[in-house]
Amino acid sequence: MPLVVIGLSHHSAPVPVRERFAFAQAALPDALQQLRETGLAREAVILSTCNRVEIYAASDFPEAQAVLRLRQFLLDYHKCTEPMDTEIYARGGRLGLEHLFKVACGLDSMVLGETEILGQLKKAYDTALRHQHTGGVLNKAFQRAFNVAKKIRTETNIQRGSVSVGSVAVELAEKLFSSLSEHPVMVIGAGDTSEKTARALLSRGARSILVSNRSHARAVELAQELGGRAVSFDDWATEFPHIDILISSTAAPHCILDRAKLEPVMKLRKNRPILLIDIAVPRDIDPSVELLENVYLYNIDDLQAIAGDYLRQRQEEIARCEAIIAEKAQAIMTASFLARGCEPAPVSSLGKAGA
Amino acid sequence: MEFLLADAATRFNVNTVSWWTDRHVFLLAVIVYGFSAAYSLFLWRKGFRKDDFINYGMLLVGLILQTKAMFMRGLSLKECPVHNLYEAMTFVDWTIVAAYAVIGLWPKVRYLGAFAAPVIFAIGVFALMPGLDAAHKTLSPIETNALVSLHAALTLLSYGAFGLSSVAAVMYLSQEHDLKFHKLRAVFAVMPPIDRLEIITSRLLWSGFLLLTAGLALIPFLFKDRSEFHVASDPKVIWSALVWCLYLVLLVLHGRFSQSGRKFAWGAVASFAFVVLTFWGVNLLSPTHRF
Repeated sequence: MPLVVIGLSHHSAPVPVRERFAFAQAALPDALQQLRETGLAREAVILSTCNRVEIYAASDFPEAQAVLRLRQFLLDYHKCTEPMDTEIYARGGRLGLEHLFKVACGLDSMVLGETEILGQLKKAYDTALRHQHTGGVLNKAFQRAFNVAKKIRTETNIQRGSVSVGSVAVELAEKLFSSLSEHPVMVIGAGDTSEKTARALLSRGARSILVSNRSHARAVELAQELGGRAVSFDDWATEFPHIDILISSTAAPHCILDRAKLEPVMKLRKNRPILLIDIAVPRDIDPSVELLENVYLYNIDDLQAIAGDYLRQRQEEIARCEAIIAEKAQAIMTASFLARGCEPAPVSSLGKAGA
Repeated sequence: MEFLLADAATRFNVNTVSWWTDRHVFLLAVIVYGFSAAYSLFLWRKGFRKDDFINYGMLLVGLILQTKAMFMRGLSLKECPVHNLYEAMTFVDWTIVAAYAVIGLWPKVRYLGAFAAPVIFAIGVFALMPGLDAAHKTLSPIETNALVSLHAALTLLSYGAFGLSSVAAVMYLSQEHDLKFHKLRAVFAVMPPIDRLEIITSRLLWSGFLLLTAGLALIPFLFKDRSEFHVASDPKVIWSALVWCLYLVLLVLHGRFSQSGRKFAWGAVASFAFVVLTFWGVNLLSPTHRF
């Protein structure tokens, strides 16, 4: 009984299509039940995230037929009359297994090497397991996928480093300060990126967050969300001597912080280092402040350069990860053939269905 | 026949013992430190990206060998081996490696070894220079007493602590420079945050300062029964007081007047450079410390 994967992802389908095919968490048990009751699959797991919708199934049908039937199920379930030939892909046998391993490791993710997908995959498997829709084939495949993900995380650098602006800012803060909980953070300009950066700092232990915005109501709203305090936009400079990390992303057409303003503040700060993250375009902070001692200024380009380098490092690891995945998939295929008392099929003949 | 064999064995044993001295063991330790220094260069070129046990392991092997060498010397002298320039240098070297062996247990500070290895190797090579391991002169009972050994050990331990603090300061300066000028290495390197490095430098300086204070506090007792020497006229004593004042100023400026981390680090490096560069010369000038 082969493993078949059918679905669509950010590689093959744009957001509107992915939205249309998404399964609500509450609807998953019912969809799994339908797959089993109609005889399409003996075992099934449905993974539905913002970037992919995939059905992993073990079917009594031959692989090619199973793919066709599962594809029709997916279209019918979401009441789609279009063929979706280019959006929906399928993998079977060894390729299906390798695809599952790649998804678990974040190799197939939009952000290469991200770890969130592993949690989502575990949740999808857990839902199917709790409702007794898994059996020998999928249990073995998913357990092995989780082990491979762990092995790849520990033996390669695929998940090393930060690839988003927010997490790079956190990493920089951690190179200056040993504990973020003792260093107050100020967010000027309540935009999306500054909010994400502030959230990333919070997730790594920052406690005291001040928010200042031209629209005070928005500042209050964001401060409440972050568990911080809102500061009037006219008063942010008075709070400045007490903060150690500044995230600035206002829409101001000129610099709001320059050397003349910062110099007296640094004296009041008694030479404590300060990290200035300027993610605004045009820039909020005059680059000349960098000449001041204990001032560490990073703008959006600096952060993106670091994130880009991390990404390059991750890309260099892809070949190593794929080698591990191929080896593990081959091992599981060989073991299943031997268990059935057959000679293992040559690699080239396995998993030809799909894509 | 049996007598001849026993005689040969005894002679062979004697020859082996006389050939294989503590200096040879120390030489082995210095060779290991040399490999560690070369490997450190490789780690630096690689950007200190991964936690590395190899360098820590090499320095640990060197420490074991050096400890063995110092034990051999101490046992043969039946006192703490701190009575000539070779012994003084090896003691300072040993202090730096031993302190690092403890601090390096914390993975984020393990790269301190990469910065320390060249210094440790350089001090080791200097100690092995010919002429520094002068034969011990016959000392009066007062010179061989435990107080002298304690004084020497405390001051040399303090120099070791100052040495390691200067290494931590170099690490601080390197990391601070990389952060200031947006070098990617600042983010990718497995290094502690700079505020932690500042704390490490400061604590090592305080340890060294307290040890030096304790060592210098013994001086009046050492000169008590030696009316031919005036404490104030001994260049080594004046030099030691100067070093003590130097470190006191550095610590006060940092602790009380919020001196910036960078200036503090430069101060730690410059002070230790002063100690290292003047130590030998001032000993030559001193009537009580001439080895």
